[in-house]
Amino acid sequence: MTDPRSWTIPNVPDIPTGRFRRVRGRPLLRTSYAQDMALLDTPAERLGTAVLVALALALPVVLADRSLEVLSGAYALAIGAIGLNIVTGYAGQVSLGHAFFVAVGAYTAAALSAPPGGRTLGFGLAEIWIWLPAAGLAAAAAGVLVAPLATRLRGLYLAVVTLGLVFLGEHVFKEWKALTGGPGVGREAAVPRLLGYPLDRDGPLGTREQVLYLLMLALLVLFAVAARNLARSRVGRAFAAIRDRDIAAAVIGVPLTRYKVLAFGVSSFYAGCAGGLLSTVSGYVEPGSFSLLMSVQFIAMVLIGGVATVSGSIAGALFICLLQPLTRTLPALVPLVSADTTRTPNVFQVETVLYGLLIVLFLVFEPRGLAGLWIRVRAYWKSWPFSY
Amino acid sequence: MTAADATATGTTTTIVTRVRERARSAPGAVAMRHKDLGVWREITWAGYWDRAELVAHALLALGVEPGDRVAVHSENRPEWLYADLGTVAVRGVTVGLYPTDPAAEVAYLLADSGARILIAEDQEQADKALEVLDRCPDLRHVVYVEPRGIRGRYADPRLMGWPELLALGAGHRAEHPGAVAQRMAGAGPGDVMTLIYTSGTTGPPKGVMLTVGNVEFAVETLVTGGGFTWPPPSERDLLLSYLPLCHVAERAFTVWFNAASGAQVNFAESIDTVQANLREVQPTILFGVPRIWEKTLAQIDIRRASATPVKRAVTGFWLRVADRLGDTLARTGGRHTPATRLAYAAGWVCCYRALRERFGLRHVRYAASGAAPVAPAVLKFFMGIGVPMHELYGMSENTAIATANRPGRVRLGTVGEPHPGVELRIDEATGEILTRHPGTFAGYWGRPEATAAVLDPDGWLRTGDVGELVDGTHLRITDRLKDVIITAGGKNVAPSEIENALKASPYVKEAVVVGDRRPYLVALVGIEPDTVGEWARRRGIPYTTYRDLSQRPETRELVQGVVDAVNARLARAEQVKRFAFLPKELDHEDGELTATQKVRRAAVVKLFEDLVEGMYGR
Repeated sequence: MTDPRSWTIPNVPDIPTGRFRRVRGRPLLRTSYAQDMALLDTPAERLGTAVLVALALALPVVLADRSLEVLSGAYALAIGAIGLNIVTGYAGQVSLGHAFFVAVGAYTAAALSAPPGGRTLGFGLAEIWIWLPAAGLAAAAAGVLVAPLATRLRGLYLAVVTLGLVFLGEHVFKEWKALTGGPGVGREAAVPRLLGYPLDRDGPLGTREQVLYLLMLALLVLFAVAARNLARSRVGRAFAAIRDRDIAAAVIGVPLTRYKVLAFGVSSFYAGCAGGLLSTVSGYVEPGSFSLLMSVQFIAMVLIGGVATVSGSIAGALFICLLQPLTRTLPALVPLVSADTTRTPNVFQVETVLYGLLIVLFLVFEPRGLAGLWIRVRAYWKSWPFSY
Repeated sequence: MTAADATATGTTTTIVTRVRERARSAPGAVAMRHKDLGVWREITWAGYWDRAELVAHALLALGVEPGDRVAVHSENRPEWLYADLGTVAVRGVTVGLYPTDPAAEVAYLLADSGARILIAEDQEQADKALEVLDRCPDLRHVVYVEPRGIRGRYADPRLMGWPELLALGAGHRAEHPGAVAQRMAGAGPGDVMTLIYTSGTTGPPKGVMLTVGNVEFAVETLVTGGGFTWPPPSERDLLLSYLPLCHVAERAFTVWFNAASGAQVNFAESIDTVQANLREVQPTILFGVPRIWEKTLAQIDIRRASATPVKRAVTGFWLRVADRLGDTLARTGGRHTPATRLAYAAGWVCCYRALRERFGLRHVRYAASGAAPVAPAVLKFFMGIGVPMHELYGMSENTAIATANRPGRVRLGTVGEPHPGVELRIDEATGEILTRHPGTFAGYWGRPEATAAVLDPDGWLRTGDVGELVDGTHLRITDRLKDVIITAGGKNVAPSEIENALKASPYVKEAVVVGDRRPYLVALVGIEPDTVGEWARRRGIPYTTYRDLSQRPETRELVQGVVDAVNARLARAEQVKRFAFLPKELDHEDGELTATQKVRRAAVVKLFEDLVEGMYGR
């Protein structure tokens, strides 16, 4: 018998089964669990993703270097947002300390790649395949150290504790001048070098911005696919169970401690990598930037993008990052808004107000974020010509 | 080719030799799929034949002789087909039992057929058999497929698990490798291969003996000759098997189509999941009884009514267009004109594609309704939304071969034209339809006098249906001969036409028209609880039970509207003057319906005599 639930009788040969073929034009007729769990399970989805990736690959040819730099930064932030979504969205553990893990990654990467004997600490390991995983692992180690707190605390208490982490980190980074260069001064960021070839200057492959853009895009795709894979696996299901109700999850046999530690570890790994890449794009690291504001920005990305969705994290990061250049064009369009910081209202104030307004509006009208909007639109057409 | 091979080796072609041939020529191709733990598991032709052969060996080991009966009491699943093929391979006779049959019926069928072995699906079916074992002296073994609840609890020595049966077969195959082939070689076209019990709307069910020759004629006509579908079914076609396999129609579409054409059979999980399974499988050939089509129509109605205003308006518009398309198609026999093609293309983009997808009709290239009369309006609706719908006519006694509406030559309200090779005539005196062809059954099991009553010595089968030829080609069936009502005014009325017109409404599930030797016609009406419930909910009408819902004055008004609309199309003598609601849903177990959900008219009228008499003011 093929049925594992029934007893087996040894001298009955197993029935020859098929080769788990997909049947044309019938996406719901799944003949194996692999098809059931496929990331892109309909032709429309495969086509849509292919078009999106092709579009992203075409952008460096079309856009100016300045816009590419903004997008590269957005992609790096998106990796961090995916990380926060893993711990907060998928596993349901509120974390305000994301900026701390980003800082750990950024400084690990910077210290490893900088030439030794300079003003700040340096080890001269400029190869990206060394410092990027190292940045992630250092942050993950920090995350794993913090995680035991999460197994004892829930909700608000956890939020406050992780908040403390940000302040602790801010203080340490401001004081440890040998590593960070000190507040207001900062230090050189990590230098990306791939097999001896520097990726952060103009070369035969294109300008610095074009090369960096493609690097960030490739890494974002890699991290995004890895996160989707994690979410659909046994680990992902355990995260979801813990998010929905940790006591219930424990009752059905999900080891809480192990999975909470894992969630913090993976999330911090993403944050660390994002930190390393983010500083590469801007070129320098300043300890004051890893403040509570950065944590809030990540939370805004997750909330505006969509909780517990990878595509939502990316959308949220892009949305927040592209808001900035958009508001910068306001003074030209609206006479009331000034580009001068000494006048009121100026663009920076408008920007801050917009952040707050958007978070409030999304939480009130579409708590599932941009991804929720998309799901709503998709459901409307998917259920056509009925409503359910 | 199969047939040529068979003649070369001197073996009669049966469905078993056809499956064996496929296992040789295309061992890795998919023969069937069944859903297990959320995934459609594929079974290849090699796997199918392997299992069928094992069952055949096991039956030999259990001492089954040619002509012995093997009963199968199960929902549709691969084991049903293994058992059927295994039985036919050892020249036994398969007897199918309806999964809904209550114990009393099981006792009757097992005793009447004299089955030696029963293959029961699970504890529920095994319990029914064990309850009535003492009334079935011929029954030696009860094989259960699902061990849950039986294994380790029941001690009856006649019980045997499915793996034990296979192990027995494997042992026998190792000892006597050629035994099944040897037994198969002895088969002849005159061998009875299955007993199909009539539904028994009047009197106890009778076992219709179908021989190898009958079934081969049916297969040649339907599959090789493309009697229903054109182009004929092939390996690329997908079928959904969900109606009881003991019925001749589903057996033809599942077992015979599969074996003869290689069409892939997909087994629905159960009758309750048919909607969901249809959506997954999206079959290319779909056979349904009228109830299924009526229910789909009602579902579309409910879903549309509860949609958002925009969707409701758009769908409403395109359904009105579909209605007009249906009118045109009904006029042209199912062939599109350039204008309808254009209108349909626009509607396909806006509505029909999605609508058909939702109900699993997206890829249907041939849909059929049969086994009971259906209102033409229902068929017209499906033609309008682009499902090529055809009404068929046949019965167990003629191996389901009589007439069919051919693609492109559809005439609504008729059951189509006789198949090639089928002789059909109408008895001048009674108007009864008679058929004659090589598929005519060998007789009722153990009832020569009943056989003689329907089978003329010169081979004509009396179908018991009254009908007439329209334009000399298409057959129109009026009603069952026994059901025709003669009112006190002397008018002949066919109740099924009125009943089907009523049942075409989404709110009416059952309608029984009464009026034999009465001054006027009355009807017992059963409401469709889903649709009427939804309707009441939208109107804010509170109700508790089925009975309560039927007795609301608002419900009476609603159904009165349906009755009035039907009456408006009928002659005075055929109008339903009064109606009463059935206080309960009719049920197979209470003896009001047959296993195929046909109303046992006499039983219902007798049971609700007071209601009927009440309508005549007595």
